[in-house]
Amino acid sequence: MNPKSLSNSERVALIQKQRKRTQYQDAVLSVVGILGFLIFWQVITVTGIVESRYLSTPVQIASLFITKLTSPNPDGAVIGVNILSSLTIALSGFGLAIVIGIPLGLVMGWYKGFDSFMRPLFEIIRPIPPVSWIPLTIVWLGIGLTAKAIIVFFAAFVPCLINSYTGIRQTSEVLKNVAKTCGASNFTIFWKIGIPSSMTLTFAGIKVAIGNAWATLVAAEMLAASSGLGYMILMGRQFGRVDLVILGIVVIGVIGTIITMLIGMLENKVLGWKKL
Amino acid sequence: MDEKKIRLKLENISQSFVVNNEVQDAVSDVSLEVYDNEFLVLLGPGHCGKSVLLNIIGGLEKPVSGNLYLDGEKLSGSDTRISMVFQRLALMPWKTVMGNVEFGPQIAGIDKATRRKNAQKYIDLVGLTGFEKSYPNQLSGGMKQRVGIARAYATNPEILLMDEPFGQLDAQTRYAMEEEIQRIWQQEKRTIIFVTNNIEEAVYLGDRIILLSECPATVKQIYDVNLPRPRNTIDPEFLRIRKEVSENTDLAL
Amino acid sequence: MINNKTAGMSAAERKAFYLSRLYMILPIISVSLLILLWTTVARNSEFPSPKDTFDRLILLFQKPIKGLNIFGHVWASLVRVFAALTFNWTFGIAFGILIGWNKKCKVLFTPLFNAFRAIPPLAWIPLITIWMGTGELSKILIVIFGSLASIVVNTQAGMSNVEQLYLDVGTIFNANARQKLFQIAIPSALDAIFAGVRTSTSAAWMVVLAAEMLGAKSGVGFLITRGMDSIDMPLVLMSMIAIGIVGALLSIITQFAERLMCPWTRKRSD
Repeated sequence: MNPKSLSNSERVALIQKQRKRTQYQDAVLSVVGILGFLIFWQVITVTGIVESRYLSTPVQIASLFITKLTSPNPDGAVIGVNILSSLTIALSGFGLAIVIGIPLGLVMGWYKGFDSFMRPLFEIIRPIPPVSWIPLTIVWLGIGLTAKAIIVFFAAFVPCLINSYTGIRQTSEVLKNVAKTCGASNFTIFWKIGIPSSMTLTFAGIKVAIGNAWATLVAAEMLAASSGLGYMILMGRQFGRVDLVILGIVVIGVIGTIITMLIGMLENKVLGWKKL
Repeated sequence: MDEKKIRLKLENISQSFVVNNEVQDAVSDVSLEVYDNEFLVLLGPGHCGKSVLLNIIGGLEKPVSGNLYLDGEKLSGSDTRISMVFQRLALMPWKTVMGNVEFGPQIAGIDKATRRKNAQKYIDLVGLTGFEKSYPNQLSGGMKQRVGIARAYATNPEILLMDEPFGQLDAQTRYAMEEEIQRIWQQEKRTIIFVTNNIEEAVYLGDRIILLSECPATVKQIYDVNLPRPRNTIDPEFLRIRKEVSENTDLAL
Repeated sequence: MINNKTAGMSAAERKAFYLSRLYMILPIISVSLLILLWTTVARNSEFPSPKDTFDRLILLFQKPIKGLNIFGHVWASLVRVFAALTFNWTFGIAFGILIGWNKKCKVLFTPLFNAFRAIPPLAWIPLITIWMGTGELSKILIVIFGSLASIVVNTQAGMSNVEQLYLDVGTIFNANARQKLFQIAIPSALDAIFAGVRTSTSAAWMVVLAAEMLGAKSGVGFLITRGMDSIDMPLVLMSMIAIGIVGALLSIITQFAERLMCPWTRKRSD
């Protein structure tokens, strides 16, 4: 088709149609990808290519989920209780990490004296993976709620701090100078220019932090807990219930994704101006 | 003797884009001829049409209508006989100067020894001997553009396109580079199509200046600059031509 | 002596001078405070003192646990990490290039990949143990699951963000699609790929510890669990310090490798 023979409005219509077609094709491909995987999964289990004690079918998992909504077997709690238990700890440890980590990172990034003091302490703590804090915390504080919240705190604390620190340090010098020529005090510049400039990186840090928090929580629950999704998976393994194990994995993944999406939406609200 | 050979011919080239559900014209029915070994300048205001025209000649875009002929042969898409120096610094940062200059021949499949020797010749031509192993981020702006010029020359093209190559340099470097490109061109004569929005640069460098209108670009006027080289920017005749061109130029805000 | 140095300075310069001196001293103060805090806490509780921890290290040399001293255990952990990373880097980079370069592949695989990515690596452990027991292979598989995401994501980002300008240069020189992929896109994505190498290495180090903590007979993670089970606090603390040191070393080595492989990313002080 020779474009020259199309009028302007026809050309626009053609482009729009092409765009819609690509969007449709992409959506179909995505669905095909997921469906294909699920079907593959169902087939290899049902036909016995993989033994059923190694893998349950997606259908079985789904029905187990429905059962677990009301049945406390075999791990001792209804699935809702497990989810709530995990969420409470994750969110409290995570919340603490945000409340302490972000302001600390911002202040460390801005005030050099503070930075010189805190830096070495931080550099010592940083290389130690959060998972390895678990035994120490357990010996100290037992296997209760506090211990797990502290472990989650450690896991979420580091990325929050690093990102807000880096974020505020890359505040544009030009903007700072503009504020100075307007007569702003150091604190005002920190509050009105430094902090907003650091928001993109800070949010990136929050997303990493929640991922870390959720992952470490699962580990903590598997090492020492009496409820929660990690514990449920462990019980599944102990009782040889592969379907319970897989259900736990799926639920953990889904909740993790939901949380990330929520944070993404919050980020869009706060940082919406960036898209303009 | 003055029978100039036509190398490149543009015939009724038009280009437009669909942006935000609207059609925007960039180039409107441009026809022109480019002679052998001339330094042709495309001069125009602002950001409209000039670079698009060059992209079409280079094969990066297909025009909505119109035809291109190189030595009488119809062109469609990119051609190794046409090479380009880009506006924004398009050197590959992971390659050294030598690596960048020999890139074109490398794509064409020429063996290492030959293309090294070839590249070295052009690196010397642009005055960067000794910098073969440097990386682009170690070079100044002017030096980077010289590498770009050497790279464009290295495939031995018939036609060299230059898309506002000195636009991002500071004033001093820009003057120096204008002298440089003139020296290089006189040493290694090629047909050059040079795009700029700087009137002084156009009069300094061009054998002919094609003045383009503002968006959508059309050919407004063609000027012949018959001054001897190297040109003197405060020569009365230079200034007269410059004034004439300047008064005819559309302003773009 | 200080007065000599500050003699020719203005008031502002003198203030800056003293401030910079202060900034140099502060780290020393904070670390000393930390050590002081450590010894005090140790004296008043069962928390091991620095000396206890050091003694435990020596003891481990004299009486190895499961036949290995500290270096042996560190090595055991590192071997697992390297095995997992070798697989990750070959498969992960190839996969990342595929979904970063080819739009259709990206749309087909990304939702699935994201779903798997959302699952914390440690959550896989019980499932993998059901499949393969607690041998070496299962631990390596756990580490693979835990660190594959970073390399794929980084490679994909690098490949999808290739500057159009470089591809245009390729078009001018008549490069075909294969040449554009291998000679332009992949080299330009190298620094992103290396960021992925760095992230996956530190992720792998963390995951291997967790895997070992949940069932192993060697490795630093195993040492920690041993310490926890036998309430051998100096062992726990010593292992944590060893973990931290090795982790820091790994990060330094990967950064060094990046600078070696990508010399153009060194910033020039302009």
